[in-house]
Amino acid sequence: MPSVTLMAEVIPALECRGLSSGYGEAVVIRHLDLVLRQGETLALLGKNGMGKSTLLKTVMGYLPALAGTVRLEGRTISGLPPQRIARQAVSYTPQDQALFPDLNVGDNLRLVVDDERALRTAVAHVGGYFPFIPDRLTQKAGTLSGGEQKMLLLARALISAPRVMLVDEITEGLQPSVVTRLVEVLRVEQRRLGFSLLIVEQNVRFALAVADRYAVLKQGEIADLGASADAGAETRIIDHLRL
Amino acid sequence: MTDHADHAAESPAAGTVAPPRGLAPGTLAARHPVALGTLLALGAVNVAPLVIDTYSVNVLVRSFLYAAVALTVDLLWGYTGILTFGQSAFFGIGAYALGLAFTHIGLTPAVAVLALAGAVVVAAAVAALTGWLAFGYGVSPIYVSVVTLVLPIVATQLVFSGGTFTGSSSGLSGFDTFELDLEDWFRLAGCGLVLATAAAWLFVRSDAGRVLVAIRENEQRCTYLGLRTARIKIALMIACGIVAAIAGYGYAAYTDVVAPELTGFVFGTELVIWVALGGRGTLLGPVVGTILIDLTSAYLSGSLPFIWQLLLGVAFVLVIVALPRGLLPVLAAGGRRFAGAAAGTRAAVLPNLVPLVPTPTAAPADAGASATPALRLRGVTRRYGSLQVLHDISFTAHAGELLSIVGPNGAGKSSLMRCIADGHERTGGTVDIAGHPIGRRNPEACVAFGVGRKFQAASVFDTLTVAECLRLARMRHEPPSLWRRAKTLRLPVSALQVAQATGLLEHSGEEARHLSHGLKQALELAMVLALEPTVLLLDEPTAGLTRPERQTIGTILSALTRDSGMCVLLVEHDLDFVREISSRVVVLHQGKLALDGTVAEVVGSDLVRTIYSGETHALGDAHG
Amino acid sequence: MQAQILDIATSAAMLYAVAAGLLVIFGVMKIINFAHGAFLTLGGYCALLTTWAGISPWLAFPVAAIVGFIIGALVERFIVRPLYQRPLDAILATWGLGIILGQVITLIFGREVQFVQSPVQGTALVLDTDYSLYRLLLVPGAILVGVALAALLHGTRLGLAARAVIMNEALARGLGIDSDRVRSLTFGLGSALAALAGALITPLSSVDPAMGVPWLVNAFMLVMVAGRSLISLMVATVVLGGAQVLVSSYASPVLGGLTIAVLAAIILRIRPQGFARD
Repeated sequence: MPSVTLMAEVIPALECRGLSSGYGEAVVIRHLDLVLRQGETLALLGKNGMGKSTLLKTVMGYLPALAGTVRLEGRTISGLPPQRIARQAVSYTPQDQALFPDLNVGDNLRLVVDDERALRTAVAHVGGYFPFIPDRLTQKAGTLSGGEQKMLLLARALISAPRVMLVDEITEGLQPSVVTRLVEVLRVEQRRLGFSLLIVEQNVRFALAVADRYAVLKQGEIADLGASADAGAETRIIDHLRL
Repeated sequence: MTDHADHAAESPAAGTVAPPRGLAPGTLAARHPVALGTLLALGAVNVAPLVIDTYSVNVLVRSFLYAAVALTVDLLWGYTGILTFGQSAFFGIGAYALGLAFTHIGLTPAVAVLALAGAVVVAAAVAALTGWLAFGYGVSPIYVSVVTLVLPIVATQLVFSGGTFTGSSSGLSGFDTFELDLEDWFRLAGCGLVLATAAAWLFVRSDAGRVLVAIRENEQRCTYLGLRTARIKIALMIACGIVAAIAGYGYAAYTDVVAPELTGFVFGTELVIWVALGGRGTLLGPVVGTILIDLTSAYLSGSLPFIWQLLLGVAFVLVIVALPRGLLPVLAAGGRRFAGAAAGTRAAVLPNLVPLVPTPTAAPADAGASATPALRLRGVTRRYGSLQVLHDISFTAHAGELLSIVGPNGAGKSSLMRCIADGHERTGGTVDIAGHPIGRRNPEACVAFGVGRKFQAASVFDTLTVAECLRLARMRHEPPSLWRRAKTLRLPVSALQVAQATGLLEHSGEEARHLSHGLKQALELAMVLALEPTVLLLDEPTAGLTRPERQTIGTILSALTRDSGMCVLLVEHDLDFVREISSRVVVLHQGKLALDGTVAEVVGSDLVRTIYSGETHALGDAHG
Repeated sequence: MQAQILDIATSAAMLYAVAAGLLVIFGVMKIINFAHGAFLTLGGYCALLTTWAGISPWLAFPVAAIVGFIIGALVERFIVRPLYQRPLDAILATWGLGIILGQVITLIFGREVQFVQSPVQGTALVLDTDYSLYRLLLVPGAILVGVALAALLHGTRLGLAARAVIMNEALARGLGIDSDRVRSLTFGLGSALAALAGALITPLSSVDPAMGVPWLVNAFMLVMVAGRSLISLMVATVVLGGAQVLVSSYASPVLGGLTIAVLAAIILRIRPQGFARD
């Protein structure tokens, strides 16, 4: 656990209060209360269709909050459009279509930095973790392998200098070795940059490896909340997720 | 309004017991307002020339003819959503048929009749060609606007290139034409317009007319109800083209002048402007709007031609941006508030819902179902470019089975459903519905073979009532009337059960957009069941529903497969739900059929456990 | 024959210049700007004003572009923005705007046909043909427009943002790109290009308040066929513009006027995506 200041104890990185949301009239999230503490990693688990991605999309301003509020470090952000939320140092990595496959690797990264100098520094930095990035800046992102695309996504999230990072199912379809690499990078960078991380996962083992706490969503409500280090956490979660 | 109340009180009871059949006494009364309005309007156009000044009478004859064309634009665009710039071309066809015939052959009764017949035939042929071009499978929706834009341009250029035959840019004039008094012209054009409007009015309010709105609201749902929307739209284009051509014929006869502008693109857009200002989808709005605008134009274009055009342009932009329904609905709403009386004409007809007695024709299908599987897939594949989402899927399903298809996001479940319901979807392999290979047929043909598809997001017709939505689902079996609304609606028992169990029946007079999410899902399910499908495809029917609603749907589905011998294919994420109701489960993973077995076999398998705990590499897949 | 090759090249160049602005707006905003013809007319009258003012005719081009940009950005804000969810209504509203612009121009300048001064006079001997020099210069002019657009789109941050919005607007917004601003600038740019094209073509003919309409129809057809790519627009202008020249000279000029529209309708029926790759 990174050390936390008194200030951070008082003001959460992200706070949902009584949040309801959904698509049109279909309410997917119901009166949800959730706190992401400063500097922590919280994993959202749950079966498909239980509202995990919906929650991230609502926080990010893609879906309107039908009730309740979302606060980012104390400031209300619900009601703002996605670009205004992104500009407040929130990075969001959606589950599908998270990259521009027809833009090259460099352009995909260029979109989140201010100028060419910042891009060069950032590329050099993430190149330390993922050497293919500086080597293949002019290659179209869509032609990267599945694992490389996920690494590029993580790199893009990191170089945008986020205070809060929202990541939706980054391990989907990945080999265990790649998953391990992503966990390592996230750990190191979180210690360095101090961002708070909210991840949506189906892969329970990855979730528990990377998260300080977890929350299980069922039918748009939190069914279980606990620390990843708790004995029996994994069994309990799988119990929630099983057939 | 009393009519409405009576039927509303009757309908829940009628759900289970067939009411006495026969002619309801309200039929004539219901038609009365239209008949009355028509008679009043006919009287008005016969008296008007005696009181209005000659100049206005003179202009109004033309306005009436324009209004008749605007009526067709409203049917096409306002009701059916086909944005057409080309009705001027049909007007021009009618005008030039007369102009050419009278100029080059001369005025005899035979020539006049033949010219009219020629105008009608040419207009119908051009409309059919336009419709065939615009409404083919896979042609983009904007294409109809492209074609209807090309049409008047072609027509104008043909006139230009016709030399002395067509009179080129100066047109034809001074030919002998019918000798009628101005007042008689007025009465003729006026009566024609009133009758055309009354006919259109009856049509759009008839059962068949609701199809137009259904196409505008949700064409995909229409095709999956087995309605051949392309044919319907082509038929409408032909009818509208003929009406416009007759108006054009009248115009040429009256003014004794035909000019290329009559066929042109600018006139085509003006028609759209008049319809938009009057109020699209209201019939009366476009008619009144056209008459008023054309009359005002005639008075102002002499003194303030450009200012008037400028004002029209400003009004048009304001209406499109701020009042997309046009001015008539706004004025009507104001008038209604002023009068304090609700003129809810639409709600007046609410049919009794009657259970359908199973017909003997259904029996052979059932008998055949036991011999041939209800559904057979062999080697079905689906690619999107280089991405392959389905690999060699083969399985069969029989009548009375409830087969669930499960798998993580992106496993290809929804793609599989699409491949069964639309012959154009799959890349390879075969799909047979009750022994019929679907080949490369359209969804409506697959519906004819027995497919009923319920979409994931409730797909209904927002501005139609529940009863109207259900009526549309029955049209494949019971062709609708072109001028009236049937008093009863016969539904299969299963559809009626769904409507009853979910409480949908109490809302049968309500527009679908006002229903709750759960009731919309129930409505779509009832609509699909009304098709009497042999293979029912359900894509996440419980998504976004509350727990009690899920249970209701689950109970109904179990009963349906058991009692009606339907074959149900269910895509579902909620595995608890799957376990409760399925007789068999197919697991899809990364586009491949990973497992096919009973509920117990699938639930107990290690494979499913690994797929769902996220360790996808366990399948030996080297992805990434 | 040589004259026809030159005719094809210069016609394609004119069509390219005229359609580029419509394509830019359609590509980024998925909206068809039916006021395009009116912006073209506006550009023509900007050229007329520079002629009247007696300043260098070359100045007509920047003046037209600036006027087009300002009016276009305003139009996006007040008329087009409420209509993104109603693309057919956007066609109609921009057509209505075209009527307004046309009538305002008529009120100020009158209905009659007027002539502007050409920045370049005389002819040049190319391919053994004495050919209008100004018309010839339109070819490098159109190429310049295409290259500048490509450079803007592929070499600047604004262009990158615009491409991101085209490809996936939701994702672009999630990365902090203000798509409203991108759209305002795009509509302004498209309108500026339309006005510039108007100023470019007027020295060859004349100006009148309705000059934009036939160009609008052809540009619309070309953009429908070209999809969203500047390259396929070039192919479309050469193929369809070439066909127009050939039909005009071998059949009749009247039929030539139809060629683009009819061919586009046929191409789109057979291949709904037109010349675009997929």
